[in-house]
Amino acid sequence: MTKPAERHTLAGETDDHRTAFGLTLSIDRRISIPGLGRSAFAAFDRPPSQVRLDEGELQHLWSSLETVPLRARELRLGDEVLLTVDFAEPPGYLLSAKDFGRVLISPTGDDLLCEPDPKNGAWANILAAQALPLAATIRGLEVFHASGVVLDGRALLFAGQPGAGKSSLAAAFVKEGARLLSDDAVALQLMDGELVAHAGSTVLQLRAREHERLSAQDRASLGEITDSPFDKQRYLSGGIGDPAPLGRIYLLERSAGGPSLERLDAVSPFDLIASTFNLSVRTPARLLNQLDVVSAIASGRLAYRLRVQPHIDATKLASIVRESLAADGPGPAVTMSGSGQQPPGL
Amino acid sequence: MPEQGADTSTMPPLSDQELLKARARLPQHVVHRSFVAETVVLNLRTGKYHGLNPTAGRMLEVLETSQTIGEAVPALATEYGLEQERIERDLLSLTRGLLERGLIVTTYDETS
Repeated sequence: MTKPAERHTLAGETDDHRTAFGLTLSIDRRISIPGLGRSAFAAFDRPPSQVRLDEGELQHLWSSLETVPLRARELRLGDEVLLTVDFAEPPGYLLSAKDFGRVLISPTGDDLLCEPDPKNGAWANILAAQALPLAATIRGLEVFHASGVVLDGRALLFAGQPGAGKSSLAAAFVKEGARLLSDDAVALQLMDGELVAHAGSTVLQLRAREHERLSAQDRASLGEITDSPFDKQRYLSGGIGDPAPLGRIYLLERSAGGPSLERLDAVSPFDLIASTFNLSVRTPARLLNQLDVVSAIASGRLAYRLRVQPHIDATKLASIVRESLAADGPGPAVTMSGSGQQPPGL
Repeated sequence: MPEQGADTSTMPPLSDQELLKARARLPQHVVHRSFVAETVVLNLRTGKYHGLNPTAGRMLEVLETSQTIGEAVPALATEYGLEQERIERDLLSLTRGLLERGLIVTTYDETS
């Protein structure tokens, strides 16, 4: 085991440097996390978070606890526990995911210690899906359960319940030239009153039904086809993953009628809070940041309700959104400044 | 500057007349943000969010800047064009609700 400072020095030579959810990451080369970018623009001008593989250290740290850990989150499917997050000081947040393994995230979010499930060759997917968004939340970003694309320099986020069509809608934009920001989680950062959307993983997962609708040309435009877990087809979209100022957030809602789109001038803050990703971190700083991010979305009049019928063609929805964007015009001038590094073009 | 008067949380419940002479403040661990259709009050210690309708949200804002709860009554009555008795009743009800939930603290100077 090495001290964090020593690891940082060593990491420059051997680790893979990536960005995700606004974090700069120094990743042990034995860990492959698909879909992470290499942007020069991160949320903080700080040393990178270390993503390390050391089962022995994780077990040592967690078994040396002198206090009973606090169960911060538990995700179940029926009687089966799929995922838990426990918190204890000093080691931090222990994320345990069935069939994936465990990740211990330090209380500052700058050290992620992994203990993979050896039976699962794709165990590292849990990092992009859960552990990195959790680390970003700890570090002060607010992660939304949303897919996101960048169109004309602005981020469009699509939030909603599982199965609402977030990924399909993002795919519909990507095949028409937009850049995929993230499939399932996007980190927002409030910088001097302006919101910046940071890319997550650009692995796009489409349900089989949606995948089958696509032409060969459309599939090629979405990226390289990778493995296909369960009933989903995965595309590796790739890209640098630069952040972009937030343009709109669309709250997808299943509806028998529609489709319809309306700007939510009086958006419920609780609808926005319900769209945030991670409930494990309940520190005062996080709660306050969450409320401020939601407040900035509301005051910027960035929230829209997009009612969608089940199984509607996502291309049709994308054209409705595009028409609305064209009707609204380019939007207010975007300026940003702050302690973090600025995305390009601002 | 230290608050004048005693924290009422350790006292028996104040009567309406006593409460009108008390001063209401948000504790440091409570924050609020105004939205178009509601005000969200967040207790950072418990992690609980509370929603207030716009009128209650405005009352909270005026309470924060008033020397006493009673002082807020005429200002709000003028703002809403309503009788002071009606505003006073609603303001006392809101104040007691906020106190019960730990979202405000009141101080009361028995000599005033």
